[in-house]
Amino acid sequence: MARMKFISDAERCIECNGCVTACKNEHEIPWGVNRRRVVTIDDGIPGERSISVACMHCSDAPCIAVCPVDTIYKTTEGIVLHDKDLCIGCGYCFYACPFGAPQFPQDGAFGLRGKMDKCTFCAGGPEADGSEAEFKKYGRNRISEGKLPACAEMCSTKALLGGDGDVIADIYRNRVVFRGKGSEVWGWGTAYGKPEKQQPQQQPAAQGAKS
Amino acid sequence: MRTSHGSFVWRLFLLLALLAPGLAAAAPQPFVPPSSPESAREQAQRQQAQPYNNAPMWRDVRSEREHQTQVRGIETGVLVQSGGETWRELRNGPVSLIGGLLLVAIAAIILLFHVMHGSIKVTSPPAGKMIQRFNDWERWVHWSVAITFCILAISGLIILFGKNVLLPIIGHTLFSWLAILSKNLHNFVGPLFIFSALVMFVTYVKDNLWKSYDFRWFKNMGGMLGGEHIPSGKFNAGEKVWFWLGLFVLTIIVAVTGLILDFPNFEQGRAIMQQANVVHAIAAILYMALSLGHIYMGTIGVEGAYDSMRTNGQVDEAWAKEHHGYWYEDVKADRTGQKAAAGVAGAGQVPQAGR
Repeated sequence: MARMKFISDAERCIECNGCVTACKNEHEIPWGVNRRRVVTIDDGIPGERSISVACMHCSDAPCIAVCPVDTIYKTTEGIVLHDKDLCIGCGYCFYACPFGAPQFPQDGAFGLRGKMDKCTFCAGGPEADGSEAEFKKYGRNRISEGKLPACAEMCSTKALLGGDGDVIADIYRNRVVFRGKGSEVWGWGTAYGKPEKQQPQQQPAAQGAKS
Repeated sequence: MRTSHGSFVWRLFLLLALLAPGLAAAAPQPFVPPSSPESAREQAQRQQAQPYNNAPMWRDVRSEREHQTQVRGIETGVLVQSGGETWRELRNGPVSLIGGLLLVAIAAIILLFHVMHGSIKVTSPPAGKMIQRFNDWERWVHWSVAITFCILAISGLIILFGKNVLLPIIGHTLFSWLAILSKNLHNFVGPLFIFSALVMFVTYVKDNLWKSYDFRWFKNMGGMLGGEHIPSGKFNAGEKVWFWLGLFVLTIIVAVTGLILDFPNFEQGRAIMQQANVVHAIAAILYMALSLGHIYMGTIGVEGAYDSMRTNGQVDEAWAKEHHGYWYEDVKADRTGQKAAAGVAGAGQVPQAGR
């Protein structure tokens, strides 16, 4: 089975924020939550570079390791998903994640956190594929329809690539060979540097009751 | 006219000749605002010298500095924050392992001690006369702290260890429900505990001031390790250690770190929350370990001790004489209560009957 990954090509990203908009629109993400963001280094200075960042679906995901209720899990495609029904809103995944992917809508006074929300690689959640409940909680499930993530599909310069790690790595390798330089693949060392720790598992126990 | 025109051309030529080397050198230099960080200047120059070599930019990616982004929020401009990995290793590693073993070990030692020694009995027959040890206010304050402490301890343990201990037994759905309850109780009872502990400190501090005779208590832990009872004031040295180390030092640590974690709406970043969480967990585990000792001594460990915190807060005179000799003397001489300040003077007296 394919191992899904993201690549953001810093040489191509023009900071149009199309991926951010595509994501928000595709999943009808609530106000205040951004599953993807574009960060520009040395903005306005010759040599500036931009990088689009969201959940990288890490091999040894720190969010899975620290979640106190074991609500975050990994699919057979290496996509890191979570069950919002089990989430307690403690914020530990937010502390652990190096990319700042987990987001919390404010739920009440004094910064009380609601259910965690993050990039699903457009793969929905534990509910039945394409169901109303799944869309409401996690957004569209494009993967089940055979489509790739909306952000990468929408990228105007094809800076953002999403899909089978081997395929997108080949595309990136060709670009590097053509450019002659710049082999840095943003975030891959952090996200995929460690061997897969969490065995790909089926959805948590609660899934049985819902589907 | 002629001369002046000629001199103008000459001057222009001279000016250009002087500026030419400067212009030639300045032309390839990209403009970098003076306020930009050094890495930006480096990146701009590297782009000129070696296109596609973005080493200064990649270093900056790992710098945890806030870069430019359109997405609002806390630290959205940071690309990689490395502290989370350290926090994960500490929390899931030594903090959970050593902390968990410590709590189990302390509980086991107390159980073993109780099985071997039994509770510490009052040796002299009950006097039948009761004296007031804690008044209504003192008992209210104590139980406010005690109950909030227990709620925080149990909910905290569920959040830290529940995944490994309870989840495999009760399953995801029930455990999630329990964890949501624990998280909310922990977040809301926390500030209540801090307030109660503050009031308790003010209420109890005057009887917990360290006296010279308190050192002698450690010789045989106030009679716990056999031998005779060492007389003490209203609180013995063990209780005073619990007061200063627990109620004072550990409360301050868990309160400060707890408030940082409880109120994420002050735009504090991840680094401070990761550090606060580790310190909070370590301090809380030590606090719980100490509390096990206190709860044991205050209930089944010492016969009659629990009466002082029960409904009327009274203890038998025989108990008072045996466990808190100096305090008993003070009560008899009417040096407590409103005249507490005078009671200090009588502290040096040898009790009439230590045992």
